[in-house]
Amino acid sequence: MKKVLASLMAVMTAVAMSGSAFAAAAPGAEGGAGFTEYPIFEDAEVGFINLSAVYFQPVPMSNGNESIEGFDIHLEADISALENKLGYEVGSWVPYLTVDYEVVGSDGNVAASGTFMEMSASDGPHYGANIALPNADTYNVTFTIHSPEENGYLLHTDAETGPGGSFDEYFGEGNLTYTFEGWDYTPQEW
Amino acid sequence: MLKYLLMSTVQLTSMMLLAGLIVSYICRTYGNTGKRCMQAGVLLGVIAALIMTFFKTNTNRIDTGIWNLRIYGVSIAAFVLFLIFTALGKRLKRLEAILPSVMMLIVVALLILYSVPDYLGYPHAILLTEKTVFSTAFLYRMIGAILGFILVLVAGVAVYKGAASLERGLVLLLVTIGLLINSIRQITASFSIMLAKRIIPSNHTLFVIAKYASNYSNAFIYLTLLIVCVIPIVLWIRSFRVNEPYSNPAEHRKIRAKWRNRRRWSTTVLACGVLIVLTMTVGSSIVNRKVELSPVEDAVVEDGNVLVPFDRVSDGHLHRFGYTTENGVTIRFIVIQKPNSSSYGIGLDACDICGETGYYEKNGQVVCNLCDVVMNINTIGFKGGCNPIVIDYSIHDGQIVVPVEGLMEYESEFK
Repeated sequence: MKKVLASLMAVMTAVAMSGSAFAAAAPGAEGGAGFTEYPIFEDAEVGFINLSAVYFQPVPMSNGNESIEGFDIHLEADISALENKLGYEVGSWVPYLTVDYEVVGSDGNVAASGTFMEMSASDGPHYGANIALPNADTYNVTFTIHSPEENGYLLHTDAETGPGGSFDEYFGEGNLTYTFEGWDYTPQEW
Repeated sequence: MLKYLLMSTVQLTSMMLLAGLIVSYICRTYGNTGKRCMQAGVLLGVIAALIMTFFKTNTNRIDTGIWNLRIYGVSIAAFVLFLIFTALGKRLKRLEAILPSVMMLIVVALLILYSVPDYLGYPHAILLTEKTVFSTAFLYRMIGAILGFILVLVAGVAVYKGAASLERGLVLLLVTIGLLINSIRQITASFSIMLAKRIIPSNHTLFVIAKYASNYSNAFIYLTLLIVCVIPIVLWIRSFRVNEPYSNPAEHRKIRAKWRNRRRWSTTVLACGVLIVLTMTVGSSIVNRKVELSPVEDAVVEDGNVLVPFDRVSDGHLHRFGYTTENGVTIRFIVIQKPNSSSYGIGLDACDICGETGYYEKNGQVVCNLCDVVMNINTIGFKGGCNPIVIDYSIHDGQIVVPVEGLMEYESEFK
């Protein structure tokens, strides 16, 4: 009797464990991307740009960026176009940007800063970087977006084929900046 | 090597110490039933950990956060049920041994399932950059990981052996306190996961709890170590007050041998404890020590150019030069002769991703000071990734000529 009960409970435990292994894939599967993004903020409107920020596990990337050692998260800025006169389709990713990030801790010190790289994941292109952020804290995150013109992106300027606007309309007073205050962050196990 | 010794020690210590305590208590208290349950628990845990490692490293089906929530929940429930069943004791009649044993079977299996997959995933993580197992770097890192495993394994076995010599009541108390510490860690980690995933709405109090638990996460390991150190301390004290009766010299020798053996296991627990603490303190400070960048070397500035003669940089080592602006900012750049080549890798001592953190030379390789990425020396001078930011320069008259005007564009990179 005891043996039967012990075996039964052991089998039930094994079944429950393997069952939840497959069930655990659900969030990614539902999202279609196959991985879970942790939101920081969503849909901030900066000039002609819709800006969201997420993070997830550090990821190996191509071109010599395979190492994930020493990194805690992959920080990502999802940038898509709002209504604009620059020829970008609303909702589409905006290429050729230089996006700087700065993560400042509650003590006022910069915990991480740099410039994102352009890359593609299974859910499409984005600006992102693996960063080291080992301490839990309430951070302020600032994104600075430079004009695509800095990277050589051009606009048609004639009335017949041009989109009708210029980058000066949005970047005339400098780079676009957005700060999200109060990101409650704790390092996650990946 | 030290980094992986540290990582594996932090990863496995709590699991191994708690498993040693639990297995010792259950096997002694519930005889063969307990022994079989513990064997099943370890086996189940190892198999589940292997499956989990495979899924984690080869698929995108595992959401570790959700998985951990499940492990924490089941683990805490099994622990509570274990306490209830233990308290009920003989009132459970024929189930007196089986119910608490199975609860601990679940706890042990989940301890292994939680801790081991990340450890088993180390080779995969190393091979993301090393590409082959036949590299020195791979070998050294794996040696570190294996040494860490051996250290905590010996500690776990010593705890098991030591606990077997103590009264069951005292061991039950240690098991309870140890699992209570583990449960508190699991609860605080659950807050962290649920807040990050927005499973629960933002809550300042829960965040503060999760924040401190995360920033002082090693405290849980130290507390568990403290709990198991009760075993050697009690055994050592008792070993000096032995007055067990004996009727002949042979029995006396047997008693002395028994206590000698207990002292040895106690010493092993303490020695492992000291080594674990040293790894997590001294080892950690060495691993996380900031590398001092080599000083900026003198270079002639002439006609708006920084001049670096070839003979100063043709030794195959990394050289750092700079130009100090009117604002007192030194804009640094690096020069290294490429292996088996007469050409030079030249770039800013900063990269787009990590900023002005700089590069240093280690074992003939150039490494980023912030993210530890080892640079391919042949690609220094090309744009991309963690490569140094590309700067203008020319070669003239046996010298590298770097225009100050070009460097000035990067003044804001160097604060």
